[in-house]
Amino acid sequence: MNVFLKWKIVRIILTSLYLMVGWILFTGSLALFSLFLGGMFSFLVALLTYSIFIEEKEAARRSLLPHIYLIVIYIFVLLFKIYLASFKMVFSVMKGNINPRIVHFRTRLKSDVARVILANSISLTPGTITLDLDEDHLIVHWLNAKTTHSHFASSLIKGHFEMWLRKIWI
Amino acid sequence: MMWIVQFFMGLGIFFGIFGNIGLLRFPDIYTRLQASSKCSTTSLFSIFIACMLLEGFTPMTGRILLIALFFLVTGPVTSHIIGRHAWERGVIPWKRKKVKD
Repeated sequence: MNVFLKWKIVRIILTSLYLMVGWILFTGSLALFSLFLGGMFSFLVALLTYSIFIEEKEAARRSLLPHIYLIVIYIFVLLFKIYLASFKMVFSVMKGNINPRIVHFRTRLKSDVARVILANSISLTPGTITLDLDEDHLIVHWLNAKTTHSHFASSLIKGHFEMWLRKIWI
Repeated sequence: MMWIVQFFMGLGIFFGIFGNIGLLRFPDIYTRLQASSKCSTTSLFSIFIACMLLEGFTPMTGRILLIALFFLVTGPVTSHIIGRHAWERGVIPWKRKKVKD
C-alpha cells in the first residue's frame, strides 16, 4: 500500500473522529440511531474536508493529537486572563489615558494551529490585537505600550502563552 | 447558588456597558476595536457562565459549553479581520502627542 494512500486514510479517520466528538457533545444522547446518523454524516463531511482540516505536509504527531488535559488547563488560564484584561480595559476607558503603539515580533512555534491559537490568545488579552500573522511574524497593536523594543515587547505580550503552547503542541 | 448567577449576569451587563462607552470615547479605529471586542467577549462569557450555572448538569450545559468554545475561536477572528483590513488599507494609528520616554 502506498504511503500517501495510508496517510490519506489516517487523515479521514482522524477528521471524522473529531467531528464525531463534536456531534456527541452537541446532541448529548447515546442512542443507537443518533450515533449511527452522526457517524455517517461525520464520515461524509470528513471525505469532503479532510485536506483542509489536516494538511498533507503537516505530519507531526503532536500537531494532530495535542495534550488534551493541558488544553483544558490552558483554557482556564486564558479565561482568568481575559477577565483581568477586561478590568484593565474598563479602567482605561474610565481614565482615558492610553498610549497606543504598533509592535512587531516573531514566534518560535512551528505548528500552524499553535500559531493561530497564539494569535487568538493575544487578541483576547490585555489591550493587544493581532493585526497580521505572516508565517511566524506577528504585527500587534498595543493599547498601553510600555516599550517599542521588539524583544521586550514580545516577552511582555506573549509571556506565558508561548510556553504553554510549546508544551501542548511539541 | 442564585446569587452567583446574578453576580455573573451583572458582570456581563457591566462589561457590555463599558465596552460601548469605550467605543464612543476612544479616538481611532484600532483603539475602538480594542474596547468593543474585549469587553463584548467578556460580557458574553459571563452570560454563558451564568446560563451554565442556572441550568445545572444537563445536555443543555454541554451545548452552551460548545457554543462558548466556538465563540472563543470566532470572537478574536472577527476583530482580527477588521483590524487587518484597516492595516492593509493603510490607516495610520493614533498616537499621543507628548511622549514621555
